[in-house]
Amino acid sequence: MAARGHVQDPNDRRLRPIYDYLDNGNNKMAIQQADKLLKKHKDLHCAKVLKAIGLQRTGKQDEAFSLAQEVATLEPTDDNSLQALTILYREMHRPELVTKLYEAAVKKVPLSEEYHSHLFMAYARVGEYKKMQQAGMALYKTVPKNPYYFWSVMSLVMQAISAQDEKLAQTMFLPLAERMVEKMVKEEKIEAEAEVQLYFMILERLGKYVEALDMVRGPLGEKLTSELQSRENKCMMMYQRLQLWPECNALSYKLLLKNCVEGPVHTTVAEAVKFVVDRMEEEDKKDSRPLRGPYMACLELIHRLRQRGCPDEEELGDPLELMLQFFGKFGDKPCCITDLKIYLHLLPPEQHTQFENRLGELVPLGEVGEDGFGFPGDTKALQRHLCVCQLSRVLGLQHTLDTEGKLCLITELKAHYHYGLQFGKSCLKTELQFSDTYCLMVAHVYIDLWTETGDENMLWQCLGVLEEGLSYSPSNAQFKLLLLLLFCRLGAFQPVVDLYSSLDAKHVQHDTIGYLLTRYAGSLGQFAAASQSYNFSLRFFHSNQKDTSEYIIQAYKYGAFEKIPEFIAFRTRLNQSLHFAQVRTERMLLDLYTEADITSSLEESVKAMGLCPEEDDIPWDNMRDNRDLTVLFSWDPKDRELTEEHRRLSLEEESVWLKVRSLTLRLLASLALLGHAPSKRNSDKTNENGVSAKSSTLQTLLSQLDLTLQTAAQITEKQTQYPFLGPPSSRLASALSSGSCHCQASALQLSLTLQELETTGLDDSSELQTQICNSFKSLIVQLQELLSRCKGDVLEMKDSRLMTQPSLLETLVFFVETVCVVLWVASYSASVLRPLKSSLQKKKKKKTKDSSTAMPVVLSGFQEWTGSLQGIVTQALDHVKGQEASLTALKLAALTLGVGHAQTQEECGFTRAAMDKVQTSYLGSLQELGDLLRKRADSLKSLKF
Amino acid sequence: MTTLRAFTCDDLFKFNNIQAFLNFLSQYGIPFYLQYLAHWPEYFIVAEAPGGELMGYIMGKAEGSVAREEWHGHVTALSVAPEFRRLGLAAKLMEMLEEISERKGGFFVDLFVRVSNQVAVNMYKQLGYSVYRTVIEYYSASNGEPDEDAYDMRKALSRDTERKSIIPIPHPVRPEDIE
Repeated sequence: MAARGHVQDPNDRRLRPIYDYLDNGNNKMAIQQADKLLKKHKDLHCAKVLKAIGLQRTGKQDEAFSLAQEVATLEPTDDNSLQALTILYREMHRPELVTKLYEAAVKKVPLSEEYHSHLFMAYARVGEYKKMQQAGMALYKTVPKNPYYFWSVMSLVMQAISAQDEKLAQTMFLPLAERMVEKMVKEEKIEAEAEVQLYFMILERLGKYVEALDMVRGPLGEKLTSELQSRENKCMMMYQRLQLWPECNALSYKLLLKNCVEGPVHTTVAEAVKFVVDRMEEEDKKDSRPLRGPYMACLELIHRLRQRGCPDEEELGDPLELMLQFFGKFGDKPCCITDLKIYLHLLPPEQHTQFENRLGELVPLGEVGEDGFGFPGDTKALQRHLCVCQLSRVLGLQHTLDTEGKLCLITELKAHYHYGLQFGKSCLKTELQFSDTYCLMVAHVYIDLWTETGDENMLWQCLGVLEEGLSYSPSNAQFKLLLLLLFCRLGAFQPVVDLYSSLDAKHVQHDTIGYLLTRYAGSLGQFAAASQSYNFSLRFFHSNQKDTSEYIIQAYKYGAFEKIPEFIAFRTRLNQSLHFAQVRTERMLLDLYTEADITSSLEESVKAMGLCPEEDDIPWDNMRDNRDLTVLFSWDPKDRELTEEHRRLSLEEESVWLKVRSLTLRLLASLALLGHAPSKRNSDKTNENGVSAKSSTLQTLLSQLDLTLQTAAQITEKQTQYPFLGPPSSRLASALSSGSCHCQASALQLSLTLQELETTGLDDSSELQTQICNSFKSLIVQLQELLSRCKGDVLEMKDSRLMTQPSLLETLVFFVETVCVVLWVASYSASVLRPLKSSLQKKKKKKTKDSSTAMPVVLSGFQEWTGSLQGIVTQALDHVKGQEASLTALKLAALTLGVGHAQTQEECGFTRAAMDKVQTSYLGSLQELGDLLRKRADSLKSLKF
Repeated sequence: MTTLRAFTCDDLFKFNNIQAFLNFLSQYGIPFYLQYLAHWPEYFIVAEAPGGELMGYIMGKAEGSVAREEWHGHVTALSVAPEFRRLGLAAKLMEMLEEISERKGGFFVDLFVRVSNQVAVNMYKQLGYSVYRTVIEYYSASNGEPDEDAYDMRKALSRDTERKSIIPIPHPVRPEDIE
């Protein structure tokens, strides 16, 4: 904590122990010490604030806040109090209060550079650009230092960037910023590089490219020295904007061949071709390590000339020969495949096999052994061989093989994999094995076989080979990612948890690859793990906001003006992340499913979450898809790769699913508040309005849900298939086909009808009552159908084969979620019907004569309904118990593995281990689902009258 | 064919192939990257392949007292994705960092490396760095690995004409004794 250096001030000496306690996390002692001090020195405001910090940190937010406000209203001007309050407000996530604090301080001490500067930073933290502009100027007037002036200018630029109206930016903010800088230029007051950078930013944003170019090339440009080639890069950018191609060309020449002072200008295709050919020849003659650039440039030029239909490409040579030449030079580098992959389209399909054969001639392999394979003698030869295998896959030559051919390929790749392990014997645990990629390719061919033939044995062997790979190369992230994906597809989430945590994902990765985890955790019934994985992601997103503000301020301090809009864009990109919105929503839904009406009522849960049905905080129109959908290596040919269209469809599907979920959540919040008896403080009038407002929210949300489900149906009709290694499909299709969405919607619809009954009463509502009873019955039918879709064996052994049906598990989760929703509605029904019933009984007591009157339909219907619900939940529990029993009874050890598949004993062991993991995971899911169902069954009991 | 350019925040989203999945042993959080971007943006350079893949990056800073002739460039992180190794990329990135440090008038460039990381130590030696001193238990224990010592390696820049800055200190030092 700051401001402790001045030992001279007696107050500092008095406060020091409190600071120390706070720093050491001893908040209780800090509070005590502060109280002691305040007894002697009532006016030592800072002690109060420090006490408030202690209170805040021990969870006494309200007390802390009122104590802080006591001091704040005095408008303190001592450093200690101000800084302590700043810290406190930041911890309270109320940065706007810091601005108020310094506004007052600046008024009282108008000549303080420090307070003015704090005020500017406080505005920066909350993004008040206009006030920043003024504060910067006020600061400059107090202390005429250049940086302050330019803080003000930058704040104008920020106003331009954040302006909704681009015209306002172009005609007001930016021109004003430009004039402010020009004034300093005229007065020859420009001092720092940052100021020139900012000037450039303004001119560029104004589209004044000529002026920007002149400025960069002129004396001001001489200040641009920190970044390498800063001036050149800026000139190049402007040349391109101005389409000054000759200048562009000459500058590129100079930059590319650094030794040349002045480059000749190439204006024709022929010259460009000659230039590239010359570079290759130079590179050929060189003794030192050859560079890839010239050779790749040649392929790139062919590619571009073809796009334009230019005949000059022939001058550059035959792409096939050029690629062979490239392979000859760089085939032993791991990046060779990445380099060549993007130019393979230059080869006509009929050349593919020839290309593969000729590449093979360039790979030095040893004598062919008994198994029919020759092996590389060193890692360079291994890398070359590997590159040919990869190229052959990218060319689609592996995909055209028949099943037999693919199995042979697997045998060959496995042999190479095992042989290559000897080169990595001395590798550290953290290093990859040289032959790891063979193993990964084996897995890919197994996946091909599995998806083509549906033979699940292929999948089990695939898991085995990957587990084996991981045992030799425990740091290989690609092994882990693919294992993770396969286990998820198999519906086995338990092994995924460890795999993901061993990936050691950090910060942004929670956003880019978190989807791999969160898509499956909840949907497979592993609720505890789901909760944990949502938390990983949420923790990161929540810290982002605070972190970025801090560094925006630093960027001002260090004059890194270009970084300020970048940091803000970064923060926005994270805040608008699809994944963020998903985990936010799923986290709350999960909490409701697992806790509401079990540990606390639905209403309490909703309130604790701060959920408001009217509020929608998801940026539907600006959603950012930050998922890294190509994180898994793929060597699939172009026609099997992930396309832009896939990305678009996946985002569309995920967004609609998110909409369904977020509407469900808001509907549940709405339902919870319906049950809430109007508080007595409100007048009768607002009472009435309150209730009708709530039901109209429910109505609006229901019709939105209805519309969304219609869109959803259209989307699922498309039955989009993504590449296996691409994005997983969302839960949308199975949610619709299981019937759970519609069942939940009708349950929520029912709550609206019940609300109507509440106002109408039992008399004169026979139609309404019948309607409600019909809904009761229909819900039972729907739940019964949903449950019947869960029936079947999730894992079974047939003819010595192990078969899985993970979709049963997913449907069971939908069933459980739907049961939760229906039971909440049932609980609401009870809350509506109970008072109606007791008032009926009162009436009955009065009119003893009419005691023969039959019970109203809706009451008997409700009793019947809860009975049926009880029945369904019991059935479901029996099903879960049955599944658990048959899973436990499955003796996987009895399976004979490896027959006819050339699997070694060791490989079989890994396959078996994978099978065990799947079995255990299924059991885990069933247990969690069973537990939740049992708790729900208990809550049903309280619904009886 | 490699593009060398300033690192931007958006690159963090493309980090998957270089950063974590490499057992890159340092645990950097977002604030760490942002701090470098805000303070020393010129020292944060990324290499990009023609297909858009990130090949590697270097991150550094300038620090130390000019008066005591300790003003220098520091290599905070240098990382190259496995598939783009053995292309001389690390050397190129180091060269750039040295050039920036030259321009800033630094006396030397320094870096810390695990004593066990023989590959890296040798690479830095090839690039003209020498061990200046050993820092005891500079790397704190993680993932079951014990604490580990670091070499503080240095290379003199042209401003240090007598190459005083790289004269080795014979006795190892503790982390708290270095700046």
